Amino acid sequence: MSTMLSQVAVLVEKDLRIEGRTRQTLGIVLVLGILITSVLGLGLSSQPQLAALGAPAILWVAYLFSGVLCFEKTMAVERQEGALAGLLLAPIDRSVIFAAKLFTNLLLMLGTAAVITAVGLLFFNFSLAAAPLGFVLVIAISMLGFAALGTLLSALASSTRLQGGFLAMLLFPLILPLVIASTVQINAMFRPGATGADTGGLAILGAFDLIFLVTSWIVFELVLEP
Amino acid sequence: MTRAFTISDVHQLPAERRTETRAAAGALHLKAEQLCKVIDERAILRDVSLEIFRGDFVALLGANGAGKSTLFRILSTLNSATSGTLELLGLRAGTNAAAIRAKIGLVSHQSMLYGDLTALENLTFFGRLYGVKEPAKRAAELLATLGLKQRANDRVKSFSRGMAQRVAIARALVHDPELLLADEPFAGLDAPSAAVLEKLLTDLNAAGKTILLANHDIAQSLRLARRAVILFRGRKIADVRSEDITPGEALLHMEGAAA
Repeated sequence: MSTMLSQVAVLVEKDLRIEGRTRQTLGIVLVLGILITSVLGLGLSSQPQLAALGAPAILWVAYLFSGVLCFEKTMAVERQEGALAGLLLAPIDRSVIFAAKLFTNLLLMLGTAAVITAVGLLFFNFSLAAAPLGFVLVIAISMLGFAALGTLLSALASSTRLQGGFLAMLLFPLILPLVIASTVQINAMFRPGATGADTGGLAILGAFDLIFLVTSWIVFELVLEP
Repeated sequence: MTRAFTISDVHQLPAERRTETRAAAGALHLKAEQLCKVIDERAILRDVSLEIFRGDFVALLGANGAGKSTLFRILSTLNSATSGTLELLGLRAGTNAAAIRAKIGLVSHQSMLYGDLTALENLTFFGRLYGVKEPAKRAAELLATLGLKQRANDRVKSFSRGMAQRVAIARALVHDPELLLADEPFAGLDAPSAAVLEKLLTDLNAAGKTILLANHDIAQSLRLARRAVILFRGRKIADVRSEDITPGEALLHMEGAAA
């Protein structure tokens, strides 16, 4: 177990080193997320009440598109010069590669979500003051499932010739239940008189995470073509 | 400036390993029996059987589409055969893939390196994945051996094709594999880089490494290897000592004219 964890750490360190050096993922993902949030925010600026009501869904739109780009980019690093084959030749379990890529994606997406949310708060008449920790918890739990499924499907999409939009086509329908559960949960938390995160809602999100994590963990090995 | 490459540079076996090597001399390193690979209902490999012993240097020849790369992917455990059995270094492929991977190295026309990492970072990274003790030290040694000490801290994407290929070879050797699979390692190399690689392969084999080389240059392959295996449309049609076949005859086999 400790060997696997250290192997995951080696892979994550490599991903973050490349990202820190090139900023090829975070740079473009942040720009896209901020653009989507800004455009939708400006579009709804004449109707502040509608913007506040729709804020969770609008934020998720930005998370989704940024996420797709993030997952594509982090997997593309492995496709250049056949680097993935180099990884697959190493005596490590393929689930180690999944765990490392998931961790990298989750880290980048949490950072991206933080920036997008901050921009969203500026444009939408929306405040986190009622349940800041609840909001963070819901987003963090949702991002885990999103990143798990995104990691799996980006590996699948990258091994096909169908690039550009193929990942979004695969990911969006499958992730929709989690997105709906997440936005419902956020709306419920910020409804007047609400008392914070609903345990039942969090349990549903946790169940989605579990399903996506276990499924992705099992299937990843099958879709990872060098 | 590339310095001369020596056997002692690349492979300094400790005393106990040398004893073990002598004791196991002649051991079967690769045994493939009736390997078949079918992709999209098309047979890429047909009943390919092959035996390679410790210390062998075997050239795998064949025209484009003969199945060389597919065979390499199966032998390196990247892909599995549709049917047939494969044993590498005494281990059955399929059930011992990780143990096999720890003992083989693969060089291909792609470098399998991260362009945004330096040569030293790449080798250290792969060394850590293979569980090499002191991976940074091993990486630095290999780079010095391959004449890349001065470029150790430069990103690989800034390297010429020849230099990147040398780093790729270092990657394949970072865990001191017993069997080296080289799939068209000369592709795209200029003459000086090809000469360096040629000498490297010769020295590695002289140091006891088993090598299987796929290469389009027939004369070079026959000069380097002691044995030549020829594939034609996925079938092994010749397995001869290099000295027993001329490049012209090998070409005829590759084109199917002698089949």
